[in-house]
Amino acid sequence: MKSVIRLYARAMKRLSVDAPSPALKQFPTASVFTVAALLAFFAPAIVVTDRALILSACVVMLGATLLAGYFTRLGRVTRWALIVPGFSLLAIALLRAGTGGATSLFSALLILPVLWIASEQGRRWILVAIFGTSASIMLPYLLYWHAPETQSEWFRGVFGPLVYGVVAAIVNELSRQGRKQMWSITRLAEEREGMLRETLSFAGKLQENELSLHAAHRLTRSVLDAVTEQSVIGTDLTGLIDVWNPGAAVMLGLAADETQGKRYVFEFHDSHELEDRSRELNYPPGATVLNPGFSALVESARLGRAEVRDWTYRRHDGSELSVNVAVTPRVDEEGATIGYIFVATDVTQALEVARLKDEFVGLISHELRTPLSSILGYLELMRDDDESPLSDEQLMYLGVAERNAHRLLRLVGDLLFTAQVASGKFPLDVGTVALSDVVTAAVQSARPVATAAGIELLIELPGEPVVVRGDSVRLGQACDNLISNAVKFTPRGGTVTVALGSTAEDAIVSVRDTGMGIPASELDQLYARFFRASTATRNAVPGVGLGLTITKAIVTAHEGELDVESQEGVGTLFSMSLPLPRKSLLDAA
Amino acid sequence: MVGAVNESVPARVVIADDDPDIRALVAIAVKRAGLELVESAADGTAAWHALQTHRPDLAVLDMSMPGLTGLEVCRLARSDDSLDGIHLVLLTAAVDDQSRAAGADAGADDFFVKPFSPRELALALSALMATDN
Repeated sequence: MKSVIRLYARAMKRLSVDAPSPALKQFPTASVFTVAALLAFFAPAIVVTDRALILSACVVMLGATLLAGYFTRLGRVTRWALIVPGFSLLAIALLRAGTGGATSLFSALLILPVLWIASEQGRRWILVAIFGTSASIMLPYLLYWHAPETQSEWFRGVFGPLVYGVVAAIVNELSRQGRKQMWSITRLAEEREGMLRETLSFAGKLQENELSLHAAHRLTRSVLDAVTEQSVIGTDLTGLIDVWNPGAAVMLGLAADETQGKRYVFEFHDSHELEDRSRELNYPPGATVLNPGFSALVESARLGRAEVRDWTYRRHDGSELSVNVAVTPRVDEEGATIGYIFVATDVTQALEVARLKDEFVGLISHELRTPLSSILGYLELMRDDDESPLSDEQLMYLGVAERNAHRLLRLVGDLLFTAQVASGKFPLDVGTVALSDVVTAAVQSARPVATAAGIELLIELPGEPVVVRGDSVRLGQACDNLISNAVKFTPRGGTVTVALGSTAEDAIVSVRDTGMGIPASELDQLYARFFRASTATRNAVPGVGLGLTITKAIVTAHEGELDVESQEGVGTLFSMSLPLPRKSLLDAA
Repeated sequence: MVGAVNESVPARVVIADDDPDIRALVAIAVKRAGLELVESAADGTAAWHALQTHRPDLAVLDMSMPGLTGLEVCRLARSDDSLDGIHLVLLTAAVDDQSRAAGADAGADDFFVKPFSPRELALALSALMATDN
């Protein structure tokens, strides 16, 4: 007995409750029907009214069961599977008709297909079940084509389906609720699975982020470590150091662990310089909550701008160091300043080089000009000697010597000037300049040379004066250079036209020649020191290549622009545009 | 007495430059200006010594000399009461405006940039000394 119960329990456990296959659903019906058919054939107590009907019932049931097998093998859920219980109902009805109709022992079998039909989703299947049972019960009357004879037969046809209907309704409802529960359980399971998946992917992302964070940190670290010639110091808002690269360690003589979180950046600055700067910035007393020196140090960075300035660092051992420091703000994700970065370059050497350069320029100036002074001075004495006047021939020789001495002198002057430009020491004596006068003077001074070279020198001036702010001597020099260049580079019979004009914003001096021109490929090198166009060297035009460098520097210092257009063999046009002062400025001047 | 020049007695002049040719050139200009050259010094220290010894009416000094520079000699001369009224002229090879300003600050009366014309220097010196009369 126990083993039977165990067998039963094991079989039941294998039932798939939520989606039983059509074969599984058909199994109880087919089994009990087989028992009933065996009884009908072999039990003598069973009344058999029509053997052929029983045989046909068996055939229909076999068909229904095979169909159930087919639908199971089909593997997907379909409403068409419901024809299986339909045929079962038919088979049972036939069996019932063959075993005495209303008096048949096997009417109870009907409940099994009804259970299947009623458990389908949707309340209409209750009606289908009622109709099915009703049809089964009434089948004998249909077969023999006569109406029920007694009232009790009528009642059987109605009452039986009523009972089956109630059972079907209950089963339908129970399966509906079952399905509902199953659905919510499935749903819950899916939800939990989704959440789990999400958690896992989040964890993955987290790990990825951590990896890239580490990589970014390593990159920052290696960049900082690679900067060995500059010191990179990071601080918080109060100046407390939290970044100290190897460059800083070399430059200032302290290791990172001796400064980070322990020292303030301004401790490494010359305190007098910081005081001077804060005085310069004119902080009212008590206006800065921070160390005033530190405030002075980060003044521009605090306002969100980078600042580059020369300072003096004081090393750990007390020695000093000239540095050029770029200060930039450090910001967080929201853009709020959370500290500062100081990148310092040792400029001791650069300052020394600049000093040597200045010294050299001074030396050259003195050493070249002194002999020239003697040459020119004594040549003049010779010319002025009234007691023994020179012959015309001698005077001509003297003129050549003088001219060349002056040429040397101009060259020395140009060299000095370009050196001044290169070192940024380029003083302008700014005043109000009438450009018409400057241009006229430049043309006049170039006229003898132009005439001697057989070149027509034209000047075009506007009706009203053109006035700019600038250094009249330097502007004159710029005009001289452009005009003498044009004359130098124009062959005999050519024309040089000097024109002064103005637009709404600029005064424009243009010098046009009909000379040999400048190859297009050389135009952008034109302003480089000692550059000479190939046309110049080819045609043996004298010069060292400083004139345009100087002219460009003068124009730039006046915030103007120097443009050139040239066509080889046709000529060149240089235009110098100088900004016109605003009316108010002129009035003030 | 220093500075007291009358027509019969020419003004006395000390010149100083480390370049002998320039020195000679300046000496010629001084003579052409009708002035009397009392000493020609080759460096700043000698120039200052000459000023103290001769107490001349005029000194023509090169700005860059060994020993004392022309500027330093100027300053010393201006701070020395015994040289009250002396005229000081500086010569320089420098072309920048700063040296001119420095010369004026040191108390120089005039300033010549090398190369200078001996003719113009002579004219300027005689004009300068003429103001004393």
